[in-house]
Amino acid sequence: MNPAKKVLGLITLFTLIILVITPYLGLSDHLTPAIQQKILMDIRLPRLLLAFIVGAGLAVCGLVFQAMFHNPLATPFTLGVASGASLGAALSVFLGVGFDFLGLSSTTLFAFIGALVTIRFVYGISSMRTGFSLHTLLLTGIAISFFFSSLILLIQYLNDLPDAYRLIRWLMGSLSIVGYDAIWQLLPFIVVAVAVIFYLSHELNLLTTGDDIALSRGVNVRKTRFLLFVTTSLCIGAIVSLCGPIGFVGMMVPHICRLLIGQNHRWLIPASCLFGGSFLIICDTIGRLLIAPAEIPVGVITTLLGGPFFLWLLIRTRTPIS
Amino acid sequence: MSFLAVSDLSVSIGEKALLSSVSVEVAKGDYLCILGQNGAGKSTFLKALMGIISSDTGDITLEQQPFRQLSQKQLARSVSYVGQNHPILDMTVSDFIRFGRYAHHNAFATWSTTDQAAFDAAVTLTDIAVFLGRHCASLSGGEYQRVQIAAALCQQAPMLLLDEPTSSLDPHHQVDVHDLIQQLNQTHQITIIEVTHDINHAVQHSQHILALKSGQVLWYGASSDLLTSAALPQVYDQAFVTVAHPETGQLIALTSEGQQ
Repeated sequence: MNPAKKVLGLITLFTLIILVITPYLGLSDHLTPAIQQKILMDIRLPRLLLAFIVGAGLAVCGLVFQAMFHNPLATPFTLGVASGASLGAALSVFLGVGFDFLGLSSTTLFAFIGALVTIRFVYGISSMRTGFSLHTLLLTGIAISFFFSSLILLIQYLNDLPDAYRLIRWLMGSLSIVGYDAIWQLLPFIVVAVAVIFYLSHELNLLTTGDDIALSRGVNVRKTRFLLFVTTSLCIGAIVSLCGPIGFVGMMVPHICRLLIGQNHRWLIPASCLFGGSFLIICDTIGRLLIAPAEIPVGVITTLLGGPFFLWLLIRTRTPIS
Repeated sequence: MSFLAVSDLSVSIGEKALLSSVSVEVAKGDYLCILGQNGAGKSTFLKALMGIISSDTGDITLEQQPFRQLSQKQLARSVSYVGQNHPILDMTVSDFIRFGRYAHHNAFATWSTTDQAAFDAAVTLTDIAVFLGRHCASLSGGEYQRVQIAAALCQQAPMLLLDEPTSSLDPHHQVDVHDLIQQLNQTHQITIIEVTHDINHAVQHSQHILALKSGQVLWYGASSDLLTSAALPQVYDQAFVTVAHPETGQLIALTSEGQQ
């Protein structure tokens, strides 16, 4: 059997186990079965499903960024795209705009625009002809993140206290929802993003070899990149506007999947989806159990794991492919 | 009819003109070498033909089809390209060569017997079967060059563009790659356009030579005529003396001691 197929099978099995076990963790034995049932169905299950689709979306978007920028450190989070989306979302809340456009809430739409503008900007910098390097790209991302963070702080400062608190809480990244509304809101974005990205998996394979080789093999690089920019922006925008910026999932998950399954995106995309989903469920469960009955926001957990991982990758990536 | 016709091709980046009004025709099965100083526009010319750089003005027709009407995929079925600098790729040689079939696939295609035949042919021609399973990063310069050519051949395009395919190789591997190109051209009728700095290689092996200078055509003609042409010293702003090769009697060019 194809080794990649075998690994994907194992990841699927792992995901199923996580999906079945985690809802029962931390469920008090003193409650009546009826209440236990209600907690499971109305609180645990929607949260589990949300964590799964958010994790899958973040992991796949991270995978796309790594392929497009030929760099394991390039993700929507490290390049400032998540900050752009956050700023967009914060701005829409601050300005009090409340409208729906083509079924998108104004917050999602603002987050999407924030993400798209940032991607375009970072890409513009990265494709400038002279003196571009991995370090320039990452520093650009950091500069953008700082800049947008201060703008968000400014918005926070100008807001009244309860709104400011909500904003802080949201910026930590959180999956605490009740009911299924958020899932139905988010699911179309994730499904479309994953479908488009999977459809472009051959192109993603070729993009990792660099633009010249991709073009000479017949990839319409400009069109592919445009499609991927829009798709990932929509996906990140939708996630960020709902759950806040949840960092480093898009870096850790695809990288671990590459180590497990190799470089072929045909396998990497489903693997990243499944592993990203189960990874975020695990992080959320840790956040839920660690100081129970209080909760640590999931974004804090992923960032605590992601920081050291980022450093490890930075030290390990000695010869970046440019 | 010519296989490739380039007329009045101009390419610029910002204010800087890289190619201006270059016209040339290449027949099917031709072997054209492009000579010229660094920065003369040789690589730009190849990249324009591969659609990597877009031209400002001018027309390119490929097998009577206007270039602008071809999708990148259609183009890649007619033209393949081996660039000058090869990024070190994080994949096996076999995986990399398989990418050559992209232009023949739609999004849901599976690996067919036709694909396997093209893959096997490319591997056999370039004689790289022994390191198919190896990682690209573990190859030497000469090995990697053959792998790059194999990956382009896997595309099975009737025209192959090569940008200084031997410039980083030792003399033994240079001869190897030259022989391979010769074989592709003569036995397999692949039309070759090669950028090179090696005048003697161009004169001995190619059928035609195009000399570029500052983005313009300096000289174009049958390869054997270059060494007796008055344009020779202008190609590199360097005087040459020609002598007969002691073994073959063919004329070869040596750089002259006295500067022009």
